Amino acid sequence: MSRQRNDILQGTLVLLVLKTLSTQGRMHGYAITAHIQRASADLLRVEEGSLYPALHRMEQDGWLRAEWGMTEKNRQARFYTLTPAGKKQLSTEQESWARLTEGVTRVLRYA
Amino acid sequence: MGWYRRFINVLRPNRVSADIRREMEFHMAERADDLVAGGMGEAEARHEARRRFGNPSMQHERTRDTDVLTWLESLGADVRYALRALRASPGFAVVAIVSLGLGVGANTAIFSLINAVVLRTLPVERPEELMQVTMGGKERGSVFTNPIWEQVRDRQDAFSGAFAYGDAEFNLTSGGEVRQAAGSWVSGDYFSTLGVRPAIGRLLTHADDVRGCPPVAVLGYGFWQSEYGGSPAIVGKTISLNRQPHTVAGVADPSFFGVDVGASIQVYVPLCLRPGLDLRSNWYLNIVGRRRPGLTPQQITQRLAAIAPAVYQETIPQHWGAREQAAYLKNGLSAVPAANGLSSVRRQYQRALMVLMAVVGLVLLVACANVANLLLARAAVRSREMAIRLAIGAARRRIVRQLLTESVLLAGLGALAGIVFARWGTSLLIGLLSRGAFPVSLDVGLDVRVLSFTLGVALLTGVLFGLAPAWRATRVDPQVALRASGRGVAEGHSRFTIGKALVIGQLALSLVLVIGAGLLLGTFRKLVSLDPGFKRDGVLIVGVNLRNAGYDEGRYGAVQRDLLERFRALPGVQAAAASVMTPISGSSWNDFVRVDGYTPKRFEDALVYFNQVSDGFFAAMGTPLLAGRDFDARDRLGSQPVAIVNETVVRKFFNGASPLGKYYRLADHDRLGAPVQIIGVVKDAKYRELREETLPTAYLTMSQDSASGPYANYELRTAGPPSGVATSVKAMVADVNRSIALELTPLSEQVDASLARERLLATLSGFFGGLSLLLATIGLYGTLSYSVARRRNEIGVRIALGAGQDRVMRLVLGEVARMIVIGVTVGIVAALFSTRVMASFLYGLSASDPATLIASAAALAMVGLAAGVLPAWRAARVDPIAALRDE
Repeated sequence: MSRQRNDILQGTLVLLVLKTLSTQGRMHGYAITAHIQRASADLLRVEEGSLYPALHRMEQDGWLRAEWGMTEKNRQARFYTLTPAGKKQLSTEQESWARLTEGVTRVLRYA
Repeated sequence: MGWYRRFINVLRPNRVSADIRREMEFHMAERADDLVAGGMGEAEARHEARRRFGNPSMQHERTRDTDVLTWLESLGADVRYALRALRASPGFAVVAIVSLGLGVGANTAIFSLINAVVLRTLPVERPEELMQVTMGGKERGSVFTNPIWEQVRDRQDAFSGAFAYGDAEFNLTSGGEVRQAAGSWVSGDYFSTLGVRPAIGRLLTHADDVRGCPPVAVLGYGFWQSEYGGSPAIVGKTISLNRQPHTVAGVADPSFFGVDVGASIQVYVPLCLRPGLDLRSNWYLNIVGRRRPGLTPQQITQRLAAIAPAVYQETIPQHWGAREQAAYLKNGLSAVPAANGLSSVRRQYQRALMVLMAVVGLVLLVACANVANLLLARAAVRSREMAIRLAIGAARRRIVRQLLTESVLLAGLGALAGIVFARWGTSLLIGLLSRGAFPVSLDVGLDVRVLSFTLGVALLTGVLFGLAPAWRATRVDPQVALRASGRGVAEGHSRFTIGKALVIGQLALSLVLVIGAGLLLGTFRKLVSLDPGFKRDGVLIVGVNLRNAGYDEGRYGAVQRDLLERFRALPGVQAAAASVMTPISGSSWNDFVRVDGYTPKRFEDALVYFNQVSDGFFAAMGTPLLAGRDFDARDRLGSQPVAIVNETVVRKFFNGASPLGKYYRLADHDRLGAPVQIIGVVKDAKYRELREETLPTAYLTMSQDSASGPYANYELRTAGPPSGVATSVKAMVADVNRSIALELTPLSEQVDASLARERLLATLSGFFGGLSLLLATIGLYGTLSYSVARRRNEIGVRIALGAGQDRVMRLVLGEVARMIVIGVTVGIVAALFSTRVMASFLYGLSASDPATLIASAAALAMVGLAAGVLPAWRAARVDPIAALRDE
């Protein structure tokens, strides 16, 4: 059985979440999923359940701050914002992602 | 900081869990809303939202794991869960905890003894610096004369401090029955070198140990407490030691018991008070020094070796023969570490304790196998529970950890029970040790080493017996387990191989222990029942010391003869005699002899052991006179010196021919003694110990000895139990002279005391052999009952198809027999290899004694079969209809 896998590459989820929060500000988990999906024109799909372990790990690492709040639809949701440490982490992750893609591209071109 | 937040979360696990659930539910609700907005039905949308989310409980667990110090939090949960599981089956829990408790307790008890006797360092300052002075070489002694000590003290430059001490026994009473205190003659720097502080008063110093010193004493703390109620007023008072008043200077520190582990010193007296300080062949002092800082043990030995020639030259015993003097000068000096103190208990018991350690180690293994088996059966019963947990997404690792937590918890509870058993066991052990010649006092308190040993053992056992069941749990296929509901029509034999292997292992180990116990018990029985050449029951030994009773030395012989006549006249005494040595007392007296017509191959061959006895000695002891006559009135001072010899002398020196009327001479170096005529032959009797090859022994008569010493022993053969005449003996002696010191010991007790180690080994190995057999039986019974329960359907089918009850019983008992045969075979092979280490403890049988092997194997087989009868009978009574309807 072959299945189209457009699940997010292991390790890039952190980068995508950090980037999303840095541009969009305060967001809850579902909105982050939706945003990634929309921004990537449906090319990337977050495996929804696996988002939460990642969010909580980032929170424990001090990159995100979380708080309970109300949505427009008057539902309780846990909102995440980027901390200064998270901003620093974002730039490191962006840099290493750039290096990775450049490396991969070069290999694909010349190897 | 991450770990800090996680740690906080450990303390509020429910709140964390609820938050995560709420967050996830919000996510799914939002997704469902979007799907409904896209035109999906509400129910379908909810379902789809859940599907897209993935496995919520797994994500929940993963999320929670990132929020808390997982292992810590889940450890708490595991422990709570494990406790609940144990409470749910109390029978299992009790059997497991008690068998582990016995195993761990036995190990802890033996280990605390080994710790106290072998491992623990002396409770003094920097014990690792202490070294004992020896003569060097392998078998050379470490006991010196006072002249040697004084030379070493004045010449040595290896130690920053050095001292000498010797054992002493002080009589505390002024007459009548002797009450001994364990004492030590100590040189001046004894306490200062060890760094011991006084509890009250002062300790002995350099100034107390000078020739002509006034009599002072320092008390041991325990003795001060028991004898003087810990009253500080004792300092400056006088106490009577060997009838001499001694001023009490102070009391030693509570933790200090002397330098000999196992003997608690009660009184310390300066060495200068000991009579005969200048005797050059009186060996009784141990020398200990504190290493000078910066010197290695090798350098210490070199420095001691350098002074040795001068030391021995200055102290040469003048009256010795030339050959002995030359040998004396060749002695060396050397040093060995003494941080653990010196100990005769250690010398006597170290190997026995190691054997016991191995024994209890095996018992613990058997207990572990037992618990593992119980856990296996439980794991099989709980396989549905495990399958369900796996099916709903629990990680496999998590379940293994849960099961290991359960077993380690069991082990922990077992260890707690074990510590209780151990406290009780060690005092029992010391009681057994103390039945030897002298009381043994040991500090066996729980220290860090013992506790970490117990903890280590508990953890190890927990993992050991938890591993097999946990390993099996991981192999459960949830689908199979759930579908088959854990029961099949024909249960494959392979299903329970680990359990069977464990039972076989238990049987084999138990057999090794039973065989070991059989050998040690056999040894003990042989020693107890062997004919020592005298009748050990019904004899009271009365030790009499006239030294302090105010007699002239020339009168000792007359007083002793008078006492003998009075003993003979006492009611209840059938016969009485006197002797210098008493049998199996541990001391000996020997000399070289020359007999015409006998040429010794080696010079030791001419060694003969002596005793000096009164007439009637052989009758009183029950040693038959085989030829010739007993001593009588003809043997007086000045008449022809005569002797009575035992059969060994006849065999060895006279080639079995009658020695009556023949002569021997003492051969003291090159000088020959006067010829002694042999007038009688007695049966061989044991001299020093029961285990010895009978020694060639010659008996002289007291009536031909002009120089009687102040000591004499009397043997009273009594009509009733020996202790029955004790009161009249004491009253009679007090009547003669109140100041005569007395010591009363039944002969049978003296012989028993020489068997203390054999008794210890036999008792304990017997107990542990029985214990492991019991554990193995429980294991066998449990495994069989379980296997019968699981094969109920199969058995039902067999019965329905016409198998008779006897056939079913044969089926089950055949299984038992197979396990027993394998277990016995493995056990016997293992025993043949392992009992060899005990060879030196055995007497009268070999380490592979066939009778013991066969009897042990038969006992094991019988007990095993008996354990199998009940399950077999239960199997035969299976009602086929009920069994099949259950399906």
